[in-house]
Amino acid sequence: METLASKVDLILASQKKTVPLRSTEEKKAKNEISLEALDVMTLLSLPDHLRKTAVMITKLGRATAADVARETGHARAVESNYLNQLVAMKHIQRERKGKKVYFYVTK
Amino acid sequence: MGKIVTIHSSRGGTGKSLISANTAAVLANKGKNVCLLDLDFRAPTMHVVFKLSPEYWLNNFLNRECEIENVLYDLTQRYNTKGKFFVGLADPSMLGIREMSMKDRKWEMKALQRLLSLRKLFEEKKIDYIIFDTSPGVQYASVNAVVSSDTVVVVTTMDAIDVQGTRSMIEDLYESFGKKAGILLNKVLLPYSVPSLSPLTEGDRESLSKQLKEMFGIPIFGMIPCYCDVLRTSRTVILAFQNPEHPFTKDIEKFVGVLEET
Repeated sequence: METLASKVDLILASQKKTVPLRSTEEKKAKNEISLEALDVMTLLSLPDHLRKTAVMITKLGRATAADVARETGHARAVESNYLNQLVAMKHIQRERKGKKVYFYVTK
Repeated sequence: MGKIVTIHSSRGGTGKSLISANTAAVLANKGKNVCLLDLDFRAPTMHVVFKLSPEYWLNNFLNRECEIENVLYDLTQRYNTKGKFFVGLADPSMLGIREMSMKDRKWEMKALQRLLSLRKLFEEKKIDYIIFDTSPGVQYASVNAVVSSDTVVVVTTMDAIDVQGTRSMIEDLYESFGKKAGILLNKVLLPYSVPSLSPLTEGDRESLSKQLKEMFGIPIFGMIPCYCDVLRTSRTVILAFQNPEHPFTKDIEKFVGVLEET
């Protein structure tokens, strides 16, 4: 019985070690797969209201909603909404640095 | 601020490359600083027109293997132009063409970013015009060029297939990206075979222009009759340099005038 209990403990201990490792790898792999390339054919398939924003973030590479709004002529709040839609669609990513939120196509 | 102009068409054989080279030549002769880039990676032609074999191609620039300055050839002295005249070529080797046709979506996205970055040339090299000679139809290289440009010139003939393809590109491509676009009608058939006997009169041009504008719904930037001697001329001849008085050169000059006002 004691041998069996020690074997169970060993199995549980090994699982504890591997589980976090597996989830990190999965997360990493998921991140790599999830970012959809924002190529021109994808741009063409986007809804009209998002296309201009998507082209601009491609041009700027990394920018805040205010930077993009300055180029497109939209209001900052509108641009922020559009950029967040593109994030939700997994075409771009978002990163907070202090008070600013940056959007980018590739890091 | 400079301008990026894409010369595009719905299918091959409309005369894009001939028009691109001569448009760039006319602009340079007028004192503009011009950069002509061959983005037709599937069927490059400019290496034949300019008889160059460079160390770096535009393929290398898009692959991030070099900078645009390494690709550009300065031909200002060769043609004695008033403005600067640069050309950048596409790799015509079978390996180069094959490699470009096998690129994935992620690479194409980065290629678009590289093309968009060319705007720095306006400041850094005081370039006034960048002319993209593209591949026909809706392919990655040509759509990347359209998205990166300020104005799109769509070269078409009166052939029914060309007309249909052009209309679909206007609706599905140029309008989707909100691009300024205009038609350049090429190889307009004249009633007689000798153009000097029957040039397109101003009346002919106006009436044809009105019909075309109704047909396509976008401005008509110009029209060029089908000159038999131009068709017979070697591809290495740039009429705007070698025969400035030829009616073809005059038609290109008219078109350039419209382009400058656009």
